[in-house]
Amino acid sequence: MIMNAALLVSAASFASAAEDDGTSWVVLADQVYTADGQVFEGGFVAVADGKITGVGMGGGSGGSELDVFAVTPGMIDLGARLVNDPDALEQSTETAITMRVAPALDLFDNAWDRELRSGVTTVLASAPDNNVIGGLSIAIKTGGAATLEARTLKADAALRGSFGTQPSQGNSGSSGVPQSFYVRRPTTRMGVEWEFRKAFYDTIAAARFKEREFEGSTVLQSVLDGDLPLSVQAWATQDIRTAIFLKEEFKIPNMFVDAAAEAWIEPELLVRSGIGVVLPPFSFAGRVGRERAFFAWNTAKMLSDLGVPFALSGHGALQATDRLAYQPALAMRGGLSLEAALEAVTITPARMIGIDDRVGSIEVGKDADLVLWSGPPFQPTSRVVGVMLDGHLILDPRETNE
Amino acid sequence: MQYSMKPTLNGYAAVKATLFGIALAAVSSTATAMMPSGDLVIEAGRIITQAGDDITDGVIVIRDGRIEAVGPAGEVEKPWGMNVVGGPEFTAYPGFVEAHTSGALDRANESVDVAPFLNIRDSIDPVSFFFENVRRNGITTLGVHQGNNCVIGARGMVVRPMGRTVEELMIRGEFGLKLSAAPKSGKSRATQAQALRTAFDDLRTYLNETVGDKRHEGDKAGREALYQGRELDEEESKGRAMGGTAWKVDGLEVIPRGELDVKQRPLLQLVEGRMAAFIYCGAPMDVHLALEVARDNGFLHRTTLVLDNSCWKAADIIAEAGVTVVLDSNMTHTELDPYTGKEIETDVPKVFADRGVRFALSSSNSSDQSLWYQAALATGLGLDRAAALDAVTIVPAEILGLGDRVGSLEVGFDGNVVLSNGDPLSTTTWIETVVLEGETVYNRSTDGRNKHLYEGQSKPAGSKSGSMGHSAAGNRR
Repeated sequence: MIMNAALLVSAASFASAAEDDGTSWVVLADQVYTADGQVFEGGFVAVADGKITGVGMGGGSGGSELDVFAVTPGMIDLGARLVNDPDALEQSTETAITMRVAPALDLFDNAWDRELRSGVTTVLASAPDNNVIGGLSIAIKTGGAATLEARTLKADAALRGSFGTQPSQGNSGSSGVPQSFYVRRPTTRMGVEWEFRKAFYDTIAAARFKEREFEGSTVLQSVLDGDLPLSVQAWATQDIRTAIFLKEEFKIPNMFVDAAAEAWIEPELLVRSGIGVVLPPFSFAGRVGRERAFFAWNTAKMLSDLGVPFALSGHGALQATDRLAYQPALAMRGGLSLEAALEAVTITPARMIGIDDRVGSIEVGKDADLVLWSGPPFQPTSRVVGVMLDGHLILDPRETNE
Repeated sequence: MQYSMKPTLNGYAAVKATLFGIALAAVSSTATAMMPSGDLVIEAGRIITQAGDDITDGVIVIRDGRIEAVGPAGEVEKPWGMNVVGGPEFTAYPGFVEAHTSGALDRANESVDVAPFLNIRDSIDPVSFFFENVRRNGITTLGVHQGNNCVIGARGMVVRPMGRTVEELMIRGEFGLKLSAAPKSGKSRATQAQALRTAFDDLRTYLNETVGDKRHEGDKAGREALYQGRELDEEESKGRAMGGTAWKVDGLEVIPRGELDVKQRPLLQLVEGRMAAFIYCGAPMDVHLALEVARDNGFLHRTTLVLDNSCWKAADIIAEAGVTVVLDSNMTHTELDPYTGKEIETDVPKVFADRGVRFALSSSNSSDQSLWYQAALATGLGLDRAAALDAVTIVPAEILGLGDRVGSLEVGFDGNVVLSNGDPLSTTTWIETVVLEGETVYNRSTDGRNKHLYEGQSKPAGSKSGSMGHSAAGNRR
């Protein structure tokens, strides 16, 4: 395995971030959406020491009571954009396989609070997508004590890659052509793919010949073994194809495409390859993102009908009403059921990076990450009035409700 | 089409002429392909009238473009022979009203600082996609105004989103003059304030000089009018004492109104209270200037402030002044606390609602995040549902001076009705049909672009996914 002992923090060592204050809650709600297939009408969620201790019909006891319209699990965003600092882009190589994004995370940045207060309690934080392989992403809570140790859910949760124009953009030199050896490569989509394929061929060679081992070959080997999920950015259908064909070529077991706006164009390829999908934020105008990819309203519904695992994402939107909490509403506008929309922001992304033992649903023993709603979840007429993270009440519905 | 309005008509006459024009249009348009008939019966399982309680299983009868009857099915007689649309599965509500947009314009701003001689009609593109999008989103009345980057901008107009020419679009020409209290690009706030005040000082000087000149038997105004090729007839040929309350120039009655300079006349109309003002405020501090200029020149009662979302901080002053406002489409204002560095978010609609300010929501030139969605979001941000609906119907109608014609479904009002498959503020609701003055101008079932937005385009015939793949898997047989 590739886990670096110094950075790998076991779940047990910090799961008790909340235990010191011993806060206990009973959240009463007209609707409790557990995201494991159950909805309790007139139910409760009991919380103690940062964990969920009970869920069901009626009321619980043994803690401060909160009364809201609806409760869902804390939301999980695999496409969050928390590292936007250009200095966080490593320019020494285009395949920064062994680099970890964690040191580039500024836990005091307002982006964390923005996500947390709008209901996102866990994110997969990745390096900027200007490298073909950007490095190791981290699954991390959006709040809690401001240390990596306290917030980390899974240190090396996924390897991040990127297709399309972004990894090759700006590499052509000032004259428009790569006029020297020192200009970064690649400069084209095919160059991006070549870098990607080369890295994996080298890994296969390294497995056969010890002298061919290189920095990063063990990381890529764990991707090939399915131990480490591979997350790649691909907006347009041509880039989604590239991702799928590479997944099939190298038989990468555990892979998902992020920002896959044009996933609707060839859904049968998604089904055939078993690839997962993270959708970008919806747009009323259809075209989204840097590739101006066309994102049809019913994409999420189509993926749901086909059984393709998919998650929704807010992509770090600045405007409050563009964030993850509003994406399920727009997916539902395209025909997705409430149940499937709920899963796409909770348990499905948790499963995609293997953190569903801790988060993603309201089950006894899981982290007490909850979102409290003023009305039916995901309707634009409802809002997030409360957020609980590891049992700490971050946003208090008694204040936001007035 | 009988739209005989001339740009030289004054505001009042223009309104009359326009109303007349519409009455004629509703009749004569039966001959055109666009408006086959202004008669229609609409049935709906629920009618949100915005004038009293909702109606269950209701009927709306539209004759000659106007609502002739609205009520429960049992109480309203359906005229024989009229086309019927809708049914029990539909919800009907008034077409939405956008009080302020620059969305339909070919370039929304003018480089000249003070340009009230311009008319927005010359910039409106009737065939732009904007109007198609507007219909798709159930907006049936819009106030079109110059962009915010001005000192004093063009005269705006009120339009319906359907027509082959600007004349066909027009509901009310010369409605509202656009001003900005926020600095035009390249100006400081002080220069902007000075330019705005000076424009009215210049008006007073001009009027005084013109009157003086006339009295001393010079005829500067007459020569200028002649030079500009303006013809004087009817109202134009008459002089009239200066109206308004803030300040007056004696002896203005000696000047035929038609002889006044085209740049100054819209400003005079403002001062006389005969023209509405839309003043953009880009920051709370701009509100003070906007109100000062409006107050000092007597048009506060005809002023609507177009607000950046930061202007919630001036809500108390706006409430005191009693003006209506148009809110930014981003209804959550964000700022950094200078001490803690934390972001503070304020939900703007509720701030104004709590102070009793009459406000309209807007989609800020983007027809994409349209008014129904703005109203839904505003409800989520703490506004009453009723207030949110008012803010996209009744209030903007008032702002556009059409409170007795659009914004609610009442007898005598324009037959502007939206039919949808559910509650107007629900995310899963789609607008199925839009009726504009009794004519069906939108049908989702025949809206190819909406179908494309919803489910993407169909693949070219014969194309096979994966067949062009370069990988082993792609070539698998």
